[in-house]
Amino acid sequence: MADRTPQDAGKLVINAVALLLVLSYALPYVYLVSTALKPAVDVQQIPPSFFPNRVSFENFGMVISTAGLPQAFMNSAIVAILTTLLSLLIAVPAAYVSALYRRRITVLFLLFALITRMVPAVSLGVPLFQILKSLGLLDTTIGLVLAHTSTAVPLALLLMAAFFEGMPKELEEAARIDGCSRFGAFWRIMLPLAPGGLAVTALFSFIASWNEFLFALLLTSENSKTAPIFIAEFNSVYGLAWGPMTAAAVLYSLPVILVTLILQRQIVGGLTFGAVKG
Amino acid sequence: MNKTLLCTVAALCLATSAANAEAITVLVEGGGHSLQQAAADAFTKETGIEVNFVEVPYQGVYDKLTAEIASGSSNYDVVTIDVVWNAAFASHVEDLSDLFTDAVKADIPPALVADANVGGKMMGMPAWANAEIVFYRKDLWEDPANQAAFKQQYGYDLAPPATWQQWRDMAKFFTKDGMFGTDVIGATSEEWMAEVLQAGSPGVILDADGKVILDNQAHIDALEFYRAPLCEDKSVPDNALEINWGEAQNLFYQGQTAMMKFWAHAYKMTPEDSKVAGKVGVAPMIGGSAGVAGIPGPWYNVIPSTSQHKDAARQFIAYQIAHNALGIEAPLGLAATNSAYASYMGKPGYEHFGPLLETLSAPATRGRPLNEHYQEIVDEAVMPAFQGALECEDNVASLLQDAAATARDILGQ
Amino acid sequence: MTERRFVLLMLLPAVLFLGFMVAYPVALLVYNSFFDVKLIDPASRVWVGLANYAEVLTSKRMLESAIRTLKYSAFALSFELLFGFGAALLFSAIAKHSHWHRTIFALPLMISPIVAGLLWRFLLVGNIGILNYGLAALGIIHDPGAIKWLSDTDIVIYSVAVADIWLTTSFVALVSYAGLMNIPKDLFEAARIDGASAIKRFWYVTLPMMRPVLAVVVIVRGIDALKTFDLIWIQTQGGPRQSSEVLSMNIYQRMVRYGDLGQASASATLFLVFMIALAGLAYWKIWRTDRG
Repeated sequence: MADRTPQDAGKLVINAVALLLVLSYALPYVYLVSTALKPAVDVQQIPPSFFPNRVSFENFGMVISTAGLPQAFMNSAIVAILTTLLSLLIAVPAAYVSALYRRRITVLFLLFALITRMVPAVSLGVPLFQILKSLGLLDTTIGLVLAHTSTAVPLALLLMAAFFEGMPKELEEAARIDGCSRFGAFWRIMLPLAPGGLAVTALFSFIASWNEFLFALLLTSENSKTAPIFIAEFNSVYGLAWGPMTAAAVLYSLPVILVTLILQRQIVGGLTFGAVKG
Repeated sequence: MNKTLLCTVAALCLATSAANAEAITVLVEGGGHSLQQAAADAFTKETGIEVNFVEVPYQGVYDKLTAEIASGSSNYDVVTIDVVWNAAFASHVEDLSDLFTDAVKADIPPALVADANVGGKMMGMPAWANAEIVFYRKDLWEDPANQAAFKQQYGYDLAPPATWQQWRDMAKFFTKDGMFGTDVIGATSEEWMAEVLQAGSPGVILDADGKVILDNQAHIDALEFYRAPLCEDKSVPDNALEINWGEAQNLFYQGQTAMMKFWAHAYKMTPEDSKVAGKVGVAPMIGGSAGVAGIPGPWYNVIPSTSQHKDAARQFIAYQIAHNALGIEAPLGLAATNSAYASYMGKPGYEHFGPLLETLSAPATRGRPLNEHYQEIVDEAVMPAFQGALECEDNVASLLQDAAATARDILGQ
Repeated sequence: MTERRFVLLMLLPAVLFLGFMVAYPVALLVYNSFFDVKLIDPASRVWVGLANYAEVLTSKRMLESAIRTLKYSAFALSFELLFGFGAALLFSAIAKHSHWHRTIFALPLMISPIVAGLLWRFLLVGNIGILNYGLAALGIIHDPGAIKWLSDTDIVIYSVAVADIWLTTSFVALVSYAGLMNIPKDLFEAARIDGASAIKRFWYVTLPMMRPVLAVVVIVRGIDALKTFDLIWIQTQGGPRQSSEVLSMNIYQRMVRYGDLGQASASATLFLVFMIALAGLAYWKIWRTDRG
């Protein structure tokens, strides 16, 4: 670390600014948590208060006692994890060649992959419903994983392609001269050097599936109903149970905070390719 | 893809569904589940047919049923749908005319029977109904000081509002001490539609023959009246366009408004520790020149044509309407039949049943038009005019004429 | 293995999967756009040629929503890029200690979109929402009903974008941060030894190396912003007087609420063509480095 004082002072200012930014950015989330901790009667108080007048866990109690919560959370976790793995498995090799072996076909391929992200989700819903129905995969975990993967793959492809793009192609050539096959160079040399890209890509594939609503609504009913649907049910035509809904949303965000923390640690800087190149 | 594998999977699925012959699957929204669970339990006990509820969020009912019908086969034997979808699904569900016996018909408010009839087909059986009634603060209305002041100012006794004029007077009167008299909802137009009927229109938006009457005098009068508390009397929060059902209800619970028109089920759902708990009074919907009128908000049980267990489904629907009162103990506490409501009349905690039944059975009460373009007309024609009127500037009649033109265009008239 | 075969083999899983899961729906979408067909009854359809397209292209309503969609997207995207890239640079300045910062910064991503939409609705509604009470308490506005975020037709399209900005700036920040960390350290060292100032290093090293990542962020966020509708729908349902209605909301209404599959498909197809053009442009202009 630096040893000169002016630089330390600069670091302190940057730290302070970053903290201030992050905290103010988190305010709406804090308000969500504080709402969840309010007693039912204060949840939509007028005039509103930022913090609870009295901390109460009744909203959390109500959510936890609602039948189906553990199942829904479990379904969401399974679907999100499988979606993440499948998306990476499919997208990473394609992204690699798109970035390092660029030619007309890979460019066209990237644009083609983007199209799948451009189609309004409402237009995908019914055809996907038909596909899964004909495969007998409606209301199954695998069915929903397939649907989620179809939207996660384009994002994963693009992100990974961008990260591979930032890596020197000479590295791959050096590995090949050292006797690696093309695949070996990809698997043993290049991939391990992109943990940040992989972590970010995994994180966003995970989150996209974790929060996805439209496909889950249409493609699941009992067996594989995920938590976003469960949470949405607190908003019925006969009224919005805002207290329990916020409590459920807060509970549902906790596992992602953990996942984010773990994956964030993979994003470290300071790669020095020169050393590898020798 | 491996064709043989696909066939095997499909065959397996068929085999499993055939094995469950003595069970029916009912697609419902959350409220529909709780209101029908008791009847389903009793039904299973009596017939041995299992009833399996699949509960989804509101929009899920419509989306899933549509997707099922479009794909040509269905896992659902009964679906409980909102009346606004009746027209859209009418040609894809079974005709239930035989379930509408004379006894059943006599026991259901006529507006609900009418809403089941789409182009001569009885496409569904009401499961429960709802309507907007008047909610007011008993403590304020019974306060002698308020009574005296009101009488002095307006020349008649303070009682729950029953007419348009009384509604405006009382809203003005109670706009004091940091409180508004009432609210005007601008995010949805349904409450105004009830007032269109109160003004004597033969129908809302369309007449019985499907002709657009959106610009008739009753529609104009009702919209003038609807916006008066906002634009002239200043007796409501001025951000009406942001107010939807949820906000209106919350304003009342938080003691910010003295009265509201709201769906009857809310009476049982007043939070126990809220500012207004124990102080809520109810009365029938207000009346205009045509008397009291409301727009019913019923839900219907329908059998998709693609159901594999139509007989069992029919039995369930017949049972549900015959034992309609079983749903009343559920949190929402609603029913569809006169006899179900009558069996709870006078019981403490059910004071809203009288006003609700009176509103539902009022001669001018009728449903929204059963037209498959209804949603489109509301979104494209009605809402712009309605929300335009609530900006308090434009002329109501000309707004509605534009809206009527748009509606005629949609219907090709 | 030849290079050509290697490329094809690596692409194969993705091509097969996307082909299977997405090509059919997209082909169906385009096919449906030439018919008068109902969502609920796709079996009975009437060929109408380009009539659906003619209807969409001549609709004043569609044109207005298209312009509104562009306004919304430009507004949301520029703030997301500004805040997100700014935050990423800030985080990279304190690299080692920033994983808590970054995790807190990612909190909005962890809320179900429905809840996030409702949360913002309740924050913004006049006389009820806490935002106006806060502004009033700070003396910025005189009473909590003063700004009608969601019902003033002049500002509502920007008010509803605030939720989008809040929700997705994290994405921009985290991806940009990972991109910054991906830049080989020795490049900076070399520039430093050559005597380049911090600003020059940013301009000649950071930005060029970030091009692919920024291009992806712009393309992905741009597409998503152009497509947004559920967040706006929850907040305003497109109102008041259609002043927060965007294109994909039109498509949703037409397809789901009115069941008009044919016309909705025509709008969606046009929308798709437009976005392909935009994405192609973004690709050629921003991403393409001089390699290969």
